[in-house]
Amino acid sequence: MFTPIAWNSLFNVFGAALVATAAIVILFSYGVRLLVNAENAKTNAANGDVKALRSEAANRAGAYALFALSFSAVIYGVLLIVPNLIPSIK
Amino acid sequence: MDPLVIVGLVVVLALFFDFTNGFHDTANAMATPIATGALKPRTAVLIASTMNLVGAFLSTAVATMISVGMINDAGNLKPEIVFAGLTGAILWNLTTWFLGLPSSSSHALFGGLIGAVIAAAGFGAVNFDSILQKIFYPAIFAPVIAGVTAWLATKLAYAITKRSSDTDLATGRGRFRYGQVFSSSLVALAHGTNDAQKTMGVITLVLVASGLQADGAHVQTWVVLAAALAIALGTYSGGWRIIKTMGKGLSEVKPAQGLAAEVATAATILASSKLGFALSTTQVASGSIIGSGLGRAGGKVRWNKAGQVFIGWLLTLPAAALVGAISSAIVLAGPAGIVIDSVITVAVIIAIFQISRRNAVTHQHVSSELEEASEVVESKKQRKAATKTFKQAKSGKDKK
Repeated sequence: MFTPIAWNSLFNVFGAALVATAAIVILFSYGVRLLVNAENAKTNAANGDVKALRSEAANRAGAYALFALSFSAVIYGVLLIVPNLIPSIK
Repeated sequence: MDPLVIVGLVVVLALFFDFTNGFHDTANAMATPIATGALKPRTAVLIASTMNLVGAFLSTAVATMISVGMINDAGNLKPEIVFAGLTGAILWNLTTWFLGLPSSSSHALFGGLIGAVIAAAGFGAVNFDSILQKIFYPAIFAPVIAGVTAWLATKLAYAITKRSSDTDLATGRGRFRYGQVFSSSLVALAHGTNDAQKTMGVITLVLVASGLQADGAHVQTWVVLAAALAIALGTYSGGWRIIKTMGKGLSEVKPAQGLAAEVATAATILASSKLGFALSTTQVASGSIIGSGLGRAGGKVRWNKAGQVFIGWLLTLPAAALVGAISSAIVLAGPAGIVIDSVITVAVIIAIFQISRRNAVTHQHVSSELEEASEVVESKKQRKAATKTFKQAKSGKDKK
Protein backbone atom coordinates (compact mmCIF):
# COMPACT_ATOMS: atom_id res chain seq x y z
CA MET A 1 0.00 0.00 0.00
CA PHE A 2 2.78 2.42 0.86
CA THR A 3 4.60 2.98 -2.36
CA PRO A 4 8.05 4.53 -2.29
CA ILE A 5 8.31 8.24 -2.97
CA ALA A 6 8.53 9.09 -6.66
CA TRP A 7 11.66 11.18 -6.18
CA ASN A 8 11.88 11.80 -9.88
CA SER A 9 8.92 14.15 -10.11
CA LEU A 10 9.77 15.85 -6.82
CA PHE A 11 13.29 16.54 -8.10
CA ASN A 12 11.76 17.88 -11.30
CA VAL A 13 9.70 20.37 -9.29
CA PHE A 14 12.71 21.28 -7.16
CA GLY A 15 14.96 21.73 -10.18
CA ALA A 16 12.42 23.76 -12.12
CA ALA A 17 11.60 26.00 -9.15
CA LEU A 18 15.25 26.54 -8.27
CA VAL A 19 16.49 27.28 -11.78
CA ALA A 20 13.53 29.51 -12.69
CA THR A 21 13.62 31.45 -9.41
CA ALA A 22 17.39 31.90 -9.46
CA ALA A 23 17.36 33.09 -13.08
CA ILE A 24 14.55 35.59 -12.51
CA VAL A 25 15.95 36.93 -9.24
CA ILE A 26 19.54 37.20 -10.52
CA LEU A 27 18.44 39.11 -13.63
CA PHE A 28 16.23 41.43 -11.61
CA SER A 29 18.86 42.03 -8.91
CA TYR A 30 21.52 42.99 -11.45
CA GLY A 31 18.91 45.25 -13.02
CA VAL A 32 18.45 46.99 -9.68
CA ARG A 33 22.20 47.30 -9.28
CA LEU A 34 22.67 48.87 -12.68
CA LEU A 35 19.77 51.22 -12.08
CA VAL A 36 21.42 52.46 -8.88
CA ASN A 37 24.69 52.85 -10.81
CA ALA A 38 22.84 54.97 -13.35
CA GLU A 39 21.39 57.17 -10.63
CA ASN A 40 24.80 57.67 -9.02
CA ALA A 41 26.27 58.56 -12.39
CA LYS A 42 23.47 61.05 -12.89
CA THR A 43 24.46 62.82 -9.67
CA ASN A 44 28.08 62.94 -10.84
CA ALA A 45 26.99 64.24 -14.24
CA ALA A 46 25.05 67.02 -12.57
CA ASN A 47 28.31 67.97 -10.83
CA GLY A 48 29.95 68.50 -14.21
CA ASP A 49 31.47 65.07 -14.86
CA VAL A 50 31.18 64.60 -18.63
CA LYS A 51 32.06 60.90 -18.67
CA ALA A 52 29.34 60.18 -16.13
CA LEU A 53 26.66 61.15 -18.61
CA ARG A 54 27.63 58.27 -20.91
CA SER A 55 27.92 55.94 -17.95
CA GLU A 56 24.41 56.82 -16.87
CA ALA A 57 22.96 55.99 -20.27
CA ALA A 58 24.82 52.67 -20.48
CA ASN A 59 23.84 51.57 -17.00
CA ARG A 60 20.23 52.55 -17.48
CA ALA A 61 20.00 50.71 -20.80
CA GLY A 62 21.56 47.64 -19.19
CA ALA A 63 19.13 47.80 -16.29
CA TYR A 64 16.09 47.96 -18.54
CA ALA A 65 17.43 45.13 -20.69
CA LEU A 66 17.84 42.97 -17.59
CA PHE A 67 14.33 43.79 -16.37
CA ALA A 68 12.96 42.84 -19.77
CA LEU A 69 14.92 39.56 -19.74
CA SER A 70 13.66 38.77 -16.26
CA PHE A 71 10.10 39.43 -17.36
CA SER A 72 10.54 37.23 -20.45
CA ALA A 73 11.82 34.42 -18.24
CA VAL A 74 8.61 34.68 -16.20
CA ILE A 75 6.40 34.55 -19.30
CA TYR A 76 8.34 31.60 -20.73
CA GLY A 77 8.04 29.73 -17.43
CA VAL A 78 4.27 30.27 -17.32
CA LEU A 79 3.83 29.16 -20.94
CA LEU A 80 5.72 25.94 -20.18
CA ILE A 81 2.95 24.68 -17.93
CA VAL A 82 0.22 25.11 -20.54
CA PRO A 83 -0.24 21.73 -22.24
CA ASN A 84 0.64 21.46 -25.96
CA LEU A 85 1.75 25.06 -26.22
CA ILE A 86 5.48 24.39 -26.37
CA PRO A 87 5.69 20.90 -27.90
CA SER A 88 9.33 20.15 -27.08
CA ILE A 89 8.52 19.87 -23.40
CA LYS A 90 6.19 17.19 -22.16
CA MET B 1 -33.41 11.35 -4.49
CA ASP B 2 -32.96 12.47 -8.08
CA PRO B 3 -29.24 12.34 -8.88
CA LEU B 4 -29.56 15.61 -10.76
CA VAL B 5 -30.53 17.37 -7.52
CA ILE B 6 -27.37 16.01 -5.87
CA VAL B 7 -25.26 17.09 -8.85
CA GLY B 8 -26.79 20.56 -8.61
CA LEU B 9 -26.08 20.72 -4.88
CA VAL B 10 -22.47 19.63 -5.37
CA VAL B 11 -21.90 22.16 -8.15
CA VAL B 12 -23.27 25.00 -6.01
CA LEU B 13 -21.35 23.93 -2.92
CA ALA B 14 -18.13 23.35 -4.87
CA LEU B 15 -18.35 26.83 -6.38
CA PHE B 16 -19.04 28.24 -2.92
CA PHE B 17 -15.95 26.41 -1.67
CA ASP B 18 -13.97 27.87 -4.58
CA PHE B 19 -15.25 31.35 -3.74
CA THR B 20 -14.18 31.04 -0.08
CA ASN B 21 -10.81 29.72 -1.22
CA GLY B 22 -10.21 32.84 -3.29
CA PHE B 23 -11.63 34.98 -0.51
CA HIS B 24 -9.25 33.43 1.98
CA ASP B 25 -6.11 33.37 -0.14
CA THR B 26 -5.99 36.89 -1.60
CA ALA B 27 -3.70 37.74 1.28
CA ASN B 28 -1.12 35.16 0.21
CA ALA B 29 -0.47 36.96 -3.03
CA MET B 30 -1.21 40.55 -2.21
CA ALA B 31 -0.34 41.10 1.46
CA THR B 32 3.33 41.87 0.80
CA PRO B 33 2.97 44.32 -2.09
CA ILE B 34 0.28 46.21 -0.16
CA ALA B 35 2.42 46.18 3.00
CA THR B 36 5.50 47.52 1.18
CA GLY B 37 3.43 50.07 -0.69
CA ALA B 38 4.24 48.63 -4.12
CA LEU B 39 0.57 48.50 -5.06
CA LYS B 40 -2.50 50.43 -4.06
CA PRO B 41 -4.92 48.05 -2.36
CA ARG B 42 -7.63 48.55 -4.99
CA THR B 43 -5.20 47.80 -7.84
CA ALA B 44 -3.73 44.82 -6.01
CA VAL B 45 -7.13 43.22 -5.51
CA LEU B 46 -8.11 43.79 -9.12
CA ILE B 47 -4.86 42.30 -10.41
CA ALA B 48 -5.11 39.32 -8.05
CA SER B 49 -8.59 38.38 -9.19
CA THR B 50 -7.76 38.81 -12.87
CA MET B 51 -4.64 36.65 -12.52
CA ASN B 52 -6.61 33.99 -10.67
CA LEU B 53 -9.12 33.93 -13.49
CA VAL B 54 -6.39 33.55 -16.12
CA GLY B 55 -4.52 30.93 -14.09
CA ALA B 56 -7.58 28.72 -13.87
CA PHE B 57 -7.54 28.26 -17.65
CA LEU B 58 -3.89 27.27 -17.98
CA SER B 59 -3.95 23.61 -16.97
CA THR B 60 -6.24 20.78 -15.88
CA ALA B 61 -3.65 18.30 -14.58
CA VAL B 62 -4.68 18.79 -10.95
CA ALA B 63 -8.41 18.53 -11.74
CA THR B 64 -7.82 15.26 -13.58
CA MET B 65 -5.81 13.94 -10.64
CA ILE B 66 -8.85 14.47 -8.38
CA SER B 67 -11.55 13.25 -10.77
CA VAL B 68 -9.64 10.30 -12.23
CA GLY B 69 -6.51 9.58 -10.18
CA MET B 70 -7.68 9.77 -6.59
CA ILE B 71 -10.76 7.55 -6.66
CA ASN B 72 -10.84 4.03 -8.11
CA ASP B 73 -13.75 3.41 -10.44
CA ALA B 74 -15.40 6.82 -10.00
CA GLY B 75 -18.19 5.68 -12.34
CA ASN B 76 -19.52 3.39 -9.60
CA LEU B 77 -19.31 6.03 -6.90
CA LYS B 78 -22.59 7.39 -5.59
CA PRO B 79 -22.90 11.14 -6.18
CA GLU B 80 -24.15 11.40 -2.58
CA ILE B 81 -20.66 10.48 -1.38
CA VAL B 82 -19.08 13.41 -3.23
CA PHE B 83 -21.72 15.62 -1.64
CA ALA B 84 -20.90 14.20 1.81
CA GLY B 85 -17.16 14.74 1.35
CA LEU B 86 -17.68 18.29 0.19
CA THR B 87 -19.95 19.26 3.09
CA GLY B 88 -17.45 17.66 5.50
CA ALA B 89 -14.67 19.81 4.01
CA ILE B 90 -16.74 22.99 4.20
CA LEU B 91 -17.74 22.35 7.82
CA TRP B 92 -14.15 21.71 8.84
CA ASN B 93 -12.94 24.78 6.96
CA LEU B 94 -15.47 27.19 8.43
CA THR B 95 -15.00 25.91 11.96
CA THR B 96 -11.21 26.20 11.87
CA TRP B 97 -11.48 29.63 10.28
CA PHE B 98 -13.89 30.73 12.99
CA LEU B 99 -11.69 29.39 15.79
CA GLY B 100 -8.59 30.94 14.22
CA LEU B 101 -6.84 27.58 13.84
CA PRO B 102 -4.26 27.15 11.08
CA SER B 103 -5.72 24.88 8.43
CA SER B 104 -5.53 24.26 4.70
CA SER B 105 -8.70 24.44 2.65
CA SER B 106 -7.16 22.16 0.02
CA HIS B 107 -6.30 19.47 2.53
CA ALA B 108 -9.75 19.85 4.06
CA LEU B 109 -11.23 19.13 0.63
CA PHE B 110 -9.06 16.06 0.00
CA GLY B 111 -9.57 14.83 3.56
CA GLY B 112 -13.34 15.25 3.33
CA LEU B 113 -13.55 13.39 0.01
CA ILE B 114 -11.19 10.58 1.03
CA GLY B 115 -12.97 10.11 4.37
CA ALA B 116 -16.40 10.03 2.74
CA VAL B 117 -15.34 7.54 0.07
CA ILE B 118 -13.61 5.22 2.55
CA ALA B 119 -16.60 5.31 4.91
CA ALA B 120 -18.95 4.45 2.06
CA ALA B 121 -16.99 1.98 -0.05
CA GLY B 122 -14.00 0.83 2.00
CA PHE B 123 -10.26 1.39 1.67
CA GLY B 124 -10.12 -0.24 -1.75
CA ALA B 125 -12.18 2.59 -3.26
CA VAL B 126 -9.44 5.19 -3.01
CA ASN B 127 -6.16 5.07 -4.90
CA PHE B 128 -3.60 5.34 -2.10
CA ASP B 129 -0.68 5.38 -4.51
CA SER B 130 -2.06 8.46 -6.24
CA ILE B 131 -2.93 10.13 -2.93
CA LEU B 132 0.60 9.56 -1.59
CA GLN B 133 2.40 10.66 -4.77
CA LYS B 134 0.20 13.61 -5.71
CA ILE B 135 -1.00 14.95 -2.35
CA PHE B 136 0.85 13.53 0.64
CA TYR B 137 4.52 13.63 -0.44
CA PRO B 138 4.11 17.01 -2.21
CA ALA B 139 2.50 18.34 0.99
CA ILE B 140 5.71 17.53 2.84
CA PHE B 141 8.25 18.44 0.18
CA ALA B 142 6.76 21.39 -1.71
CA PRO B 143 7.00 23.84 1.25
CA VAL B 144 10.60 22.68 1.78
CA ILE B 145 11.38 23.12 -1.93
CA ALA B 146 9.84 26.60 -1.85
CA GLY B 147 11.71 27.40 1.38
CA VAL B 148 15.14 26.35 0.09
CA THR B 149 14.52 28.16 -3.20
CA ALA B 150 13.41 31.34 -1.44
CA TRP B 151 16.38 31.13 0.91
CA LEU B 152 18.81 30.90 -2.00
CA ALA B 153 17.01 33.62 -3.98
CA THR B 154 17.12 35.98 -0.98
CA LYS B 155 20.85 35.32 -0.52
CA LEU B 156 21.43 36.01 -4.21
CA ALA B 157 19.37 39.21 -4.25
CA TYR B 158 21.20 40.59 -1.22
CA ALA B 159 24.64 39.54 -2.48
CA ILE B 160 24.13 41.07 -5.93
CA THR B 161 22.88 44.40 -4.60
CA LYS B 162 25.49 44.61 -1.83
CA ARG B 163 27.75 47.68 -1.91
CA SER B 164 31.30 47.67 -0.61
CA SER B 165 31.33 48.82 2.99
CA ASP B 166 33.61 51.86 2.47
CA THR B 167 31.05 53.67 0.30
CA ASP B 168 27.83 55.00 1.64
CA LEU B 169 26.03 54.52 -1.66
CA ALA B 170 22.46 53.28 -1.39
CA THR B 171 21.83 49.64 -2.28
CA GLY B 172 18.58 50.50 -3.98
CA ARG B 173 16.92 47.43 -2.50
CA GLY B 174 13.71 49.40 -2.08
CA ARG B 175 13.36 49.15 -5.84
CA PHE B 176 12.54 45.48 -5.50
CA ARG B 177 9.06 46.63 -4.59
CA TYR B 178 8.42 47.44 -8.27
CA GLY B 179 9.35 43.87 -9.12
CA GLN B 180 6.90 42.74 -6.49
CA VAL B 181 4.08 44.07 -8.64
CA PHE B 182 4.92 41.27 -11.06
CA SER B 183 5.98 38.59 -8.59
CA SER B 184 2.80 38.90 -6.56
CA SER B 185 0.71 38.77 -9.73
CA LEU B 186 2.59 35.59 -10.56
CA VAL B 187 1.62 34.12 -7.20
CA ALA B 188 -2.03 34.94 -7.91
CA LEU B 189 -1.71 33.26 -11.31
CA ALA B 190 -0.13 30.16 -9.78
CA HIS B 191 -2.89 30.10 -7.18
CA GLY B 192 -5.46 29.96 -9.99
CA THR B 193 -3.62 27.07 -11.68
CA ASN B 194 -3.71 24.92 -8.55
CA ASP B 195 -6.67 25.90 -6.38
CA ALA B 196 -9.36 26.54 -9.00
CA GLN B 197 -8.61 23.10 -10.41
CA LYS B 198 -9.57 21.43 -7.15
CA THR B 199 -13.12 22.67 -7.66
CA MET B 200 -13.09 21.55 -11.29
CA GLY B 201 -11.95 18.13 -10.09
CA VAL B 202 -14.79 17.80 -7.59
CA ILE B 203 -17.45 18.89 -10.09
CA THR B 204 -16.06 16.50 -12.69
CA LEU B 205 -16.02 13.73 -10.08
CA VAL B 206 -19.73 14.19 -9.34
CA LEU B 207 -20.52 14.32 -13.07
CA VAL B 208 -18.70 11.02 -13.56
CA ALA B 209 -20.31 9.49 -10.46
CA SER B 210 -23.80 10.38 -11.67
CA GLY B 211 -23.11 9.02 -15.15
CA LEU B 212 -23.38 12.42 -16.83
CA GLN B 213 -19.80 12.13 -18.05
CA ALA B 214 -17.60 9.18 -18.99
CA ASP B 215 -14.93 8.11 -16.50
CA GLY B 216 -11.56 9.52 -17.51
CA ALA B 217 -12.99 12.17 -19.82
CA HIS B 218 -11.65 15.71 -19.92
CA VAL B 219 -12.85 18.50 -17.70
CA GLN B 220 -15.73 20.25 -19.49
CA THR B 221 -15.40 23.85 -20.56
CA TRP B 222 -18.33 25.15 -18.52
CA VAL B 223 -16.76 23.60 -15.41
CA VAL B 224 -13.46 25.40 -16.06
CA LEU B 225 -15.32 28.65 -16.69
CA ALA B 226 -17.48 28.40 -13.57
CA ALA B 227 -14.54 27.50 -11.32
CA ALA B 228 -12.40 30.30 -12.76
CA LEU B 229 -15.14 32.88 -12.21
CA ALA B 230 -15.90 31.69 -8.68
CA ILE B 231 -12.27 31.90 -7.53
CA ALA B 232 -11.80 35.30 -9.18
CA LEU B 233 -14.94 36.69 -7.56
CA GLY B 234 -13.87 35.28 -4.20
CA THR B 235 -10.44 36.84 -4.55
CA TYR B 236 -12.00 40.17 -5.40
CA SER B 237 -14.39 40.15 -2.43
CA GLY B 238 -11.72 38.86 -0.06
CA GLY B 239 -9.46 41.75 -0.92
CA TRP B 240 -11.68 44.35 0.66
CA ARG B 241 -11.49 42.55 3.97
CA ILE B 242 -7.70 42.50 3.83
CA ILE B 243 -7.45 46.16 3.03
CA LYS B 244 -9.38 47.05 6.16
CA THR B 245 -7.45 44.76 8.46
CA MET B 246 -4.09 44.40 6.74
CA GLY B 247 -1.96 43.09 9.59
CA LYS B 248 1.40 44.43 10.52
CA GLY B 249 2.58 40.83 10.68
CA LEU B 250 4.39 41.04 7.38
CA SER B 251 5.97 44.45 7.91
CA GLU B 252 9.27 42.71 8.69
CA VAL B 253 9.40 41.40 5.11
CA LYS B 254 11.60 43.68 3.02
CA PRO B 255 10.92 44.18 -0.70
CA ALA B 256 13.93 42.12 -1.88
CA GLN B 257 12.91 39.29 0.42
CA GLY B 258 9.28 39.56 -0.64
CA LEU B 259 10.22 39.31 -4.30
CA ALA B 260 12.44 36.28 -3.71
CA ALA B 261 9.74 34.56 -1.66
CA GLU B 262 7.02 35.28 -4.19
CA VAL B 263 8.98 34.07 -7.20
CA ALA B 264 9.89 30.89 -5.30
CA THR B 265 6.25 30.33 -4.31
CA ALA B 266 4.95 30.87 -7.83
CA ALA B 267 7.64 28.69 -9.45
CA THR B 268 7.02 25.83 -7.01
CA ILE B 269 3.23 25.96 -7.44
CA LEU B 270 3.40 26.24 -11.23
CA ALA B 271 5.81 23.32 -11.58
CA SER B 272 3.62 21.28 -9.23
CA SER B 273 0.44 22.14 -11.13
CA LYS B 274 2.12 20.90 -14.30
CA LEU B 275 2.73 17.49 -12.70
CA GLY B 276 -0.76 17.32 -11.17
CA PHE B 277 0.43 17.79 -7.58
CA ALA B 278 -2.51 19.15 -5.59
CA LEU B 279 -0.84 21.45 -3.10
CA SER B 280 -1.88 23.71 -0.32
CA THR B 281 -0.81 27.01 -1.83
CA THR B 282 -0.77 28.59 1.63
CA GLN B 283 1.72 26.03 2.88
CA VAL B 284 4.02 26.66 -0.08
CA ALA B 285 3.81 30.43 0.49
CA SER B 286 4.56 29.87 4.18
CA GLY B 287 7.62 27.78 3.29
CA SER B 288 8.89 30.61 1.10
CA ILE B 289 8.33 33.28 3.75
CA ILE B 290 10.28 31.22 6.29
CA GLY B 291 13.05 30.49 3.78
CA SER B 292 13.45 34.13 2.79
CA GLY B 293 13.46 35.18 6.46
CA LEU B 294 16.36 32.81 7.08
CA GLY B 295 18.10 34.05 3.94
CA ARG B 296 18.64 37.46 5.45
CA ALA B 297 21.58 37.92 7.77
CA GLY B 298 20.76 37.01 11.34
CA GLY B 299 17.39 35.33 10.74
CA LYS B 300 16.63 32.62 13.28
CA VAL B 301 13.84 30.08 13.58
CA ARG B 302 11.43 30.25 16.51
CA TRP B 303 11.03 26.51 16.83
CA ASN B 304 7.98 26.52 19.09
CA LYS B 305 6.12 28.78 16.66
CA ALA B 306 7.24 26.58 13.75
CA GLY B 307 5.95 23.53 15.63
CA GLN B 308 2.52 25.11 16.05
CA VAL B 309 2.25 25.86 12.35
CA PHE B 310 3.36 22.38 11.29
CA ILE B 311 1.02 20.56 13.67
CA GLY B 312 -1.90 22.59 12.30
CA TRP B 313 -0.91 21.46 8.80
CA LEU B 314 -0.58 17.79 9.72
CA LEU B 315 -3.92 17.62 11.51
CA THR B 316 -6.06 19.06 8.72
CA LEU B 317 -6.26 16.08 6.37
CA PRO B 318 -7.10 13.34 8.91
CA ALA B 319 -9.46 15.61 10.84
CA ALA B 320 -11.35 16.59 7.70
CA ALA B 321 -11.39 12.93 6.66
CA LEU B 322 -13.15 12.12 9.93
CA VAL B 323 -15.76 14.85 9.36
CA GLY B 324 -16.18 13.62 5.76
CA ALA B 325 -16.65 10.04 6.99
CA ILE B 326 -19.31 11.13 9.50
CA SER B 327 -21.25 13.14 6.94
CA SER B 328 -20.92 10.20 4.53
CA ALA B 329 -22.50 7.94 7.15
CA ILE B 330 -25.35 10.43 7.61
CA VAL B 331 -25.94 10.73 3.87
CA LEU B 332 -25.92 6.96 3.32
CA ALA B 333 -28.59 6.51 5.99
CA GLY B 334 -31.19 7.34 3.34
CA PRO B 335 -32.79 10.21 1.46
CA ALA B 336 -33.42 12.00 4.76
CA GLY B 337 -29.68 11.88 5.41
CA ILE B 338 -28.95 14.24 2.53
CA VAL B 339 -31.51 16.69 3.85
CA ILE B 340 -30.04 16.48 7.36
CA ASP B 341 -26.50 16.94 6.05
CA SER B 342 -27.54 19.95 3.93
CA VAL B 343 -29.43 21.52 6.83
CA ILE B 344 -26.42 21.14 9.15
CA THR B 345 -24.05 22.65 6.56
CA VAL B 346 -26.30 25.61 5.74
CA ALA B 347 -27.01 26.20 9.44
CA VAL B 348 -23.30 26.27 10.28
CA ILE B 349 -22.54 28.59 7.34
CA ILE B 350 -25.27 31.03 8.41
CA ALA B 351 -24.43 30.80 12.12
CA ILE B 352 -20.72 31.50 11.58
CA PHE B 353 -21.49 34.28 9.14
CA GLN B 354 -23.86 35.92 11.63
CA ILE B 355 -21.54 35.59 14.63
CA SER B 356 -18.53 36.87 12.73
CA ARG B 357 -20.53 39.85 11.53
CA ARG B 358 -21.76 40.71 15.00
CA ASN B 359 -18.26 40.49 16.40
CA ALA B 360 -16.97 42.56 13.48
CA VAL B 361 -14.33 39.84 13.03
CA THR B 362 -11.34 40.39 15.26
CA HIS B 363 -7.89 40.54 13.78
CA GLN B 364 -7.13 37.07 15.09
CA HIS B 365 -9.68 35.62 12.70
CA VAL B 366 -8.68 37.48 9.61
CA SER B 367 -4.91 37.48 9.91
CA SER B 368 -3.53 35.23 7.21
CA GLU B 369 -1.61 32.04 7.76
CA LEU B 370 1.20 33.77 5.97
CA GLU B 371 1.60 36.21 8.83
CA GLU B 372 1.59 33.23 11.15
CA ALA B 373 4.43 31.69 9.12
CA SER B 374 6.40 34.93 8.99
CA GLU B 375 6.52 34.85 12.78
CA VAL B 376 8.41 31.59 12.62
CA VAL B 377 11.55 33.48 11.72
CA GLU B 378 12.96 36.00 14.16
CA SER B 379 14.97 38.72 12.47
CA LYS B 380 18.12 40.28 13.86
CA LYS B 381 16.26 43.53 14.53
CA GLN B 382 13.51 41.81 16.48
CA ARG B 383 16.05 39.89 18.56
CA LYS B 384 17.97 43.07 19.37
CA ALA B 385 14.76 44.79 20.42
CA ALA B 386 13.83 41.85 22.61
CA THR B 387 17.25 41.76 24.31
CA LYS B 388 17.07 45.48 24.89
CA THR B 389 13.72 45.32 26.66
CA PHE B 390 14.95 42.31 28.63
CA LYS B 391 18.03 44.23 29.78
CA GLN B 392 15.97 47.27 30.63
CA ALA B 393 13.61 45.17 32.69
CA LYS B 394 16.56 43.57 34.41
CA SER B 395 18.34 46.83 35.23
CA GLY B 396 15.03 48.22 36.47
CA LYS B 397 14.81 45.34 38.91
CA ASP B 398 18.40 45.78 40.05
CA LYS B 399 17.74 49.37 41.04
CA LYS B 400 14.98 48.25 43.33
